[in-house]
Amino acid sequence: MTRRAKRIVIYNHKGGVGKTTLTVNIAAAFVSLGKRVLLVDSDPQCNLTAYSIESNVVDDLLDTSDDEKKGRTVWSALKPISEGTGNVKTIRPYELSSNLFLLPGDIRLSEFEISLTSLWSECVQRRIRGFRGVTALSSLVSDIARSQDIDYIFYDAGPNIGPLNKAILLDCDELIVPAACDLFSVRALKTLGHTLSEWIKEWEIIDTLAPDDLYLLNGKPRFLGYIPQRFRVYRGEPSAAYTSYLSKLEKNVESEIIAVLRKIDTTLAPRSVSETMLGQIQDFGALANAAQNEGVPLWKVRGAGSKEQKESARQTFLNLSKQIIKRAQSV
Amino acid sequence: MSSKISKMEADRIDGLVAYYRENLEQFKRFMGSVQSLFSNVEALTPYVHSTKWRIKDPEHLKDKLKRWVIQCKENNERFEVTKENLFEKVTDLVGYRILHLHTTQINKINKVILDLLVKDDYVLIEGPIARTWDSESETYFKSIGIETRDTGRMYTSVHYLFKANKRTLPTCELQVRTLAEEVWGEVDHMINYPHPSHITACREQIKVLARVTSSCSRLVDSIFQSYNESCIQPPIQEKRRRTNPNKSAKDNRAVKRSRAKRKS
Repeated sequence: MTRRAKRIVIYNHKGGVGKTTLTVNIAAAFVSLGKRVLLVDSDPQCNLTAYSIESNVVDDLLDTSDDEKKGRTVWSALKPISEGTGNVKTIRPYELSSNLFLLPGDIRLSEFEISLTSLWSECVQRRIRGFRGVTALSSLVSDIARSQDIDYIFYDAGPNIGPLNKAILLDCDELIVPAACDLFSVRALKTLGHTLSEWIKEWEIIDTLAPDDLYLLNGKPRFLGYIPQRFRVYRGEPSAAYTSYLSKLEKNVESEIIAVLRKIDTTLAPRSVSETMLGQIQDFGALANAAQNEGVPLWKVRGAGSKEQKESARQTFLNLSKQIIKRAQSV
Repeated sequence: MSSKISKMEADRIDGLVAYYRENLEQFKRFMGSVQSLFSNVEALTPYVHSTKWRIKDPEHLKDKLKRWVIQCKENNERFEVTKENLFEKVTDLVGYRILHLHTTQINKINKVILDLLVKDDYVLIEGPIARTWDSESETYFKSIGIETRDTGRMYTSVHYLFKANKRTLPTCELQVRTLAEEVWGEVDHMINYPHPSHITACREQIKVLARVTSSCSRLVDSIFQSYNESCIQPPIQEKRRRTNPNKSAKDNRAVKRSRAKRKS
């Protein structure tokens, strides 16, 4: 079987741009479009896990994650690599609902991240141990995706530029950049484009020198698009400040991400900037908070929001997801 | 020399060298991986005196290609190096050298090298091949299963050619030779490279130096053989742990002390 589940990361190293909320809602929309989805909580803060699972269950998961038999978080699987005692342990994902699975996160993933620093240098030195280490999460995810017949994998990555996110970004087929409409988000795009391009170039050489028949990362994450977030609506129109940031965002996406990636390889950013805005997500305010508390997508919230608001959220995410699927499937 | 090369040929050589420069990062990384492969290998330390490595200076590649073009012209052959095959035709862009004290140590060193290459999944293209002109060395290498080749030049060195994987072209040339051979090689390189010296006496003396060199490695072999045969203590070469040249003085003192003890 050669079909490989598409790996998507919704990533921006700038925090507070709504990565997790976006990921949860897009994944839910994918499921309602008939896709089988695996969510990978690869942020040691475990926000995605906390969002998706009841808190007493999360506590239980984290309490037993170190246990060789009971452990079923991402740490339970990667611990042998981190401690140099063996290979990735196979674990069963958590079934959130029909067609939606979660590989639970773990605070101790930060320990794995610490060991990744030296594993990356071993990888650069072409040592097999290094390759096994930096591809460990990817191969774990591959195993789960195969066993559950997954169509799409979403990584939820922490807001930083570190060795773990390097392994995640380089494993993905598609990158979606969420950006809030503020000065910091606009500026962050420059670091993001630059870092990503350095990572890709480094991996290219690692890949060239890698031994034959070794499991490797994809190494070529495509820039699928960006999502301006949290705009406020006044009298049915986006605010003036938002509109001004929107054009700055577009400019920076073009010069700091698309142009930078195309310098390496045009297929890394195949679309023009106007085609990469996937949709705009408004600030859902109280509805977003309630969704987090209830652990459901925005349109399934019971305790807040009007019917129209929820329907609008559902439509927004369905449209967004259709755009993503369309672009992800094009070669 | 440049007068013999046409403008078109010079441009072609420049193009090849520029292509090498563009890919230098990959060669540096390959060099780094080879260094990492052979460093801190406990099984090697008792036998290895020191190691050297380099990636070829682009200017040296240019000189090499020029000589190659001229040679082709003289022999009425086509110069067939292109960007597509440059990294395959020039096999020593990445070079690593292991120096040891006396000839018979190669038996152990060779086994460790082959193990390391297999363990980290490198692709061995050629070797080990012992280039030697000395018939006694030739017999020895054959007796330990190392193929020999007479290149017409008066030195002895064991060569390996390997690459990172089947997909890529760049190769690393690994040479293993004795310290005495290294001395000969350095002298020969300085006097006869890139062109044989026009001073007959120097060329003759270097040939004689080759005989002395061979005898020197042979003599050191014999000294260690005699020493180890008459020694109840563990053989001396097994005890030596010398990877860092800075540590060698200390090690020598330790050897002297243990000898003094044995005498008393």
